[in-house]
Amino acid sequence: MKLFRRRRSDVIAEERLKFILVQDRSLLTPAEFERMKEDIIRVISNYFEINKSGIELNIQRENRKTILEATVPVISVKRSST
Amino acid sequence: MGRTIVVTAGKGGVGKTTITANLGASLSKLGRKVVLVDMDIGLRNLDVVMGLENRIVYNIMDIAEGRCKINQALVRDKRQSGLFLLPASQVHTKEDVDIDSIVSIISAIENSFDYVLLDSPAGIEKGFESAVAPSKEGLVVVTPDVSSVRDADRVIGLLENRGILGLSLVVNRYDVDLVNRKKMLNADSIVEILGLDLVGIVPEDKAVIDSTNRGEILVNYYANTIAARAFENVARRIEGENVPFVSLNSQNKGFMKFFRRGK
Ligand SMILES: Nc1ncnc2c1ncn2[C@@H]1O[C@H](COP(=O)(O)OP(=O)(O)OP(=O)(O)O)[C@@H](O)[C@H]1O
Ligand SMILES: [Mg+2]
Repeated sequence: MKLFRRRRSDVIAEERLKFILVQDRSLLTPAEFERMKEDIIRVISNYFEINKSGIELNIQRENRKTILEATVPVISVKRSST
Repeated sequence: MGRTIVVTAGKGGVGKTTITANLGASLSKLGRKVVLVDMDIGLRNLDVVMGLENRIVYNIMDIAEGRCKINQALVRDKRQSGLFLLPASQVHTKEDVDIDSIVSIISAIENSFDYVLLDSPAGIEKGFESAVAPSKEGLVVVTPDVSSVRDADRVIGLLENRGILGLSLVVNRYDVDLVNRKKMLNADSIVEILGLDLVGIVPEDKAVIDSTNRGEILVNYYANTIAARAFENVARRIEGENVPFVSLNSQNKGFMKFFRRGK
């Protein structure tokens, strides 16, 4: 049993960085960022049943473009929509 | 016309000045004519790292404010006849700088050199802007820690917004032993996160501090140290040579799979 084994600090550093940079790169305040996340959830929920806690947002810079990538776990399609 | 490259980081103390001096000397050892411009107005240090502090007569603010000609301010390196320093003023502050004058000084110099390297101060305020404004390319320096990589990411965003094409990355103060023990961010992860072309990994090396104490540029006087070899490899990669990233110690297996991203 290795219940209390400390995690590798290189991996922790990498995870913390990735988390910090999503917020930094968005250039939004933390409050705006949360609001954006809620907006995304609200819009997608109109069409899909989703797992809100599984949502991942990622912002990457590639080729001088900023790319927002949202991963949204879908549970089912809402059939009753208008 | 020469290549004008800003050496920058965001975070202070990560090795911008050390890399500017050693990269400049390495490029001049390869036969290039190089001028190093100290843009840390009010807190100049490039002169000290190069050991030229006693030879300064005029500085870039004297040129900007019409007290001397460009050639009168240039100081030749002690070892490399093709390497020059354009010193910063120590009595002005960064707020005193007129960015347009700096831009015209640099564009006048570019014609007579193969490389113009601008040593940027810490921060993202006016000192940073003055170093970036005349530059066409950027060399971003990071140390393998969360704060430094985070600040570098911010600076990369600013450089891209200002139209600086061709950004490359140097990881400085790399401790292979710590990396092997999984206690330091490895270069692969940093490259993946920042998405720039890697042009060098410079190990933590006590010889850097020793040579700086003496005012002797490492690659000029202690060319056999591991950091000096790493600096020379940075120069060769900037020259376009495909220099493989070799292991910094024999036990290391992990980090040879570097790649170029984002093209
Ligand atoms: N690879 C290295 N190994 C050991 N020491 C190093 C290395 N690179 C830099 N240093 C040391 O780190 C310190 C800071 O370096 P340097 O002055 O080049 O940083 P800087 O980014 O220019 O700082 P500032 O933001 O204040 O301008 C110096 O004492 C230098 O000798
Ligand atoms: Mg410096």
